[in-house]
Amino acid sequence: MKKPPLNLHTIASVISQKIKMSNLTTAILTASAVSVAAISSGCSQPEPVEQNAPEYGLVTADDANEDIGTYVLPQDTAILDEPNADEIFYGKRLLNETKRLLPEHVGAQMNCNSCHISQGKVPLGDPYINSYNTYPRIMPRSGKEVDLEARINGCFQRSMNGKPLDRQSPEMLAMMAYMKWLSQNTPKEQKVDIRNAGKVDDSLIPDPMRGEQIYKVQCATCHGDNGEGLKDSRGDIVFPPLWGDESFNIGAGMARTYKAAAFVKYNMPMGIQTKGLWGHGNVLSDQDAVDVAHFFTHQPRPDFAGKVNDWPNGKKPKDARY
Amino acid sequence: MKKWPLIIIVTAIIGLAVAFIIGQLLPNIRTSSSDIEVNITDPALIKQGEYIARTADCVACHTTLNGETYAGGLPMLTPLGAIYSTNITPDKETGIGNYSFDDFKNAVKHGVRRDNKTLYPAMPYPSYQLMPDEDLAAMYAFFMSDVKAVKQTNLKSELPPIANWRWPLAYWQVLFDRKRDFVPETDDALLTRGQYLIEGPGHCGSCHTGRGIGFQETALSNADSNKYLSGAIIDGWRAKSIRGEHRGLGTWTVAELNDFFKTGRTDTTAAFGAMAEVVEHSTQYMTDYDINAMSSYLKTLTPAPNKEATLPTKKDITTQKLLDGDYDSRGSILYAEYCQVCHRVDGKGVARIFPALDGNSAVYSKNADSVLQITLSGGRMPETPHDRMAFTMPEFSNLSDADVAEVVNYVRNSWTNQAPKIDVNDVVKMRAFLAKKPKTSTDIAPDLSIDAQTKGAK
Repeated sequence: MKKPPLNLHTIASVISQKIKMSNLTTAILTASAVSVAAISSGCSQPEPVEQNAPEYGLVTADDANEDIGTYVLPQDTAILDEPNADEIFYGKRLLNETKRLLPEHVGAQMNCNSCHISQGKVPLGDPYINSYNTYPRIMPRSGKEVDLEARINGCFQRSMNGKPLDRQSPEMLAMMAYMKWLSQNTPKEQKVDIRNAGKVDDSLIPDPMRGEQIYKVQCATCHGDNGEGLKDSRGDIVFPPLWGDESFNIGAGMARTYKAAAFVKYNMPMGIQTKGLWGHGNVLSDQDAVDVAHFFTHQPRPDFAGKVNDWPNGKKPKDARY
Repeated sequence: MKKWPLIIIVTAIIGLAVAFIIGQLLPNIRTSSSDIEVNITDPALIKQGEYIARTADCVACHTTLNGETYAGGLPMLTPLGAIYSTNITPDKETGIGNYSFDDFKNAVKHGVRRDNKTLYPAMPYPSYQLMPDEDLAAMYAFFMSDVKAVKQTNLKSELPPIANWRWPLAYWQVLFDRKRDFVPETDDALLTRGQYLIEGPGHCGSCHTGRGIGFQETALSNADSNKYLSGAIIDGWRAKSIRGEHRGLGTWTVAELNDFFKTGRTDTTAAFGAMAEVVEHSTQYMTDYDINAMSSYLKTLTPAPNKEATLPTKKDITTQKLLDGDYDSRGSILYAEYCQVCHRVDGKGVARIFPALDGNSAVYSKNADSVLQITLSGGRMPETPHDRMAFTMPEFSNLSDADVAEVVNYVRNSWTNQAPKIDVNDVVKMRAFLAKKPKTSTDIAPDLSIDAQTKGAK
């Protein structure tokens, strides 16, 4: 009998076998440890989940397809981290409860956030997410450059049928501060890749009779059989009047059939879905939305004195009211 | 000495065999035959049976979301696995088409199937046994003649071996479902009718009475004990106490209860969760007399044992703080962002549209499960012809578990509300439970399309 030659090759193979064995043992031990851990974690509780905040892409004006980062929608609790937290909270409250807090400036029974749903945080619901970065810009309606203060004051005079705020007033500065916070330091030349309003087919011909039927079934519970709106037990407005003396005037975007239709289709009614911050929208077809929008926009409503200055360069949209 | 183990095993086997044989025989004692001849084609009887089936709310459990009516298949979650409701359409192969009247009566009232096997007590036969045979006859006529036969095979339970044996249930029936008759508490006709509907076909105790170690209801009537209808947890909902204490129906009037049963809402509250289904499928169809009878009887029930008959009065300091923007807790910031637009600064909501949170006994109940579940998964009011629209609560599942706990604690302890605090682990548990729970019709938004609207008389 001859001993196997003790050469490097056999030593190596013996060692490698040992390593394999120890690997196997380790593998079994690890597997059992993992399975024990898995079982015990199955019995114990899962970890609390963190907030699942909506995220949207950021784009530049030059190249909408370039991937440059992500915008995370902030929760109001994060306002506490800001040095001007009080001012931001004040701005948020003014936007939510405009009629109660600024009665001298609001003629209609409306709040900013009657239209800017869920505090301006929802795409297609007239969000403020990009407002801070979008202005100043040239608006077709005024034919000149408009900054954010002027844009906000436009709302006060049209949608709220009221009076503008002093551009340097604490109220104007607070609303600006909220919108600046909501932009989350997005650089000026970038914007969050969302749409402010949804699309409806503006070639559709409105049928006001059908619109009235839809209104009675799907709008009147909240906005009233006579478009008068509904207040809460304290007398503060919950659902704004859609026509009459206390509604928005004809200078408001909401008085235009197709703009109103786009809002209604994607945001109304509220409290009707189990998803979405307001449980809102996505009930009506384009035709439904155009019909119902034509019906309520063309009801009697206050006039707008400044209408003579609108669209000085022509290009008036076909659903403009004057 | 060595023979002992053997003797024990043999004794156990013999004992099990004897228990099995007796268990096979026990259902025979419960069943009975009647001499009632049911004319299943009598239109008046069918109509009467349809109404009785509404009062017994058979459809709620025997129909799934988007499933055929009465074809069964709804899972009921037990700790050991789901059991499924059965097909009670008159299909001869998969339903109850071959049931005689006696078979039908023995199943509904005594929990014994046509093949003499026992039914799980998920079927509320301990309540249904109070129903008179004449009512069962009417219901039989309705099911046999007016319900569409659907061929749909019953699903097997997910219970593991041994737990899925049916014969031990015969002993459950001996222990917990003794033969009993309906005993009116008073000689007032209205209250007696209400008591009957609540104890019998309405089987309110199935959800609103706590269960004992054997899953039996701890009381089947007010005469049994004042634990009857004193509240329980079912399907992640707190089925609140509907007795007379403050957190029960102490703050409700008969008129409010009538409104609630008929329309699913009042000026300050709305049915949600499992109760929304009860209103949608059952109580809205009941006559005004029957509804008033139930409400009147419920208001006679004394406060539940060991519960505060009245809570101390509490001053509302919340409303002014929210009006002033004085956000003194994380919960208040969350409330202002997510809840206030509908439920308002004073927590009073909007009548018949958004329920009040302040003074709402479903909100400040000791157990927070109902508030937690509707916050995490949303829901909607029942649809009835009384109101043009049924509104929803959207789900707030995107919030962190810690924030859900904060905001739930806030609404349960703001304004005049007072309730025990929950912590983040309660939210974690509810989220895990909801991941497994099947959706029901009132978990999802109603069909509001114009086509659906023009069909109904809304």
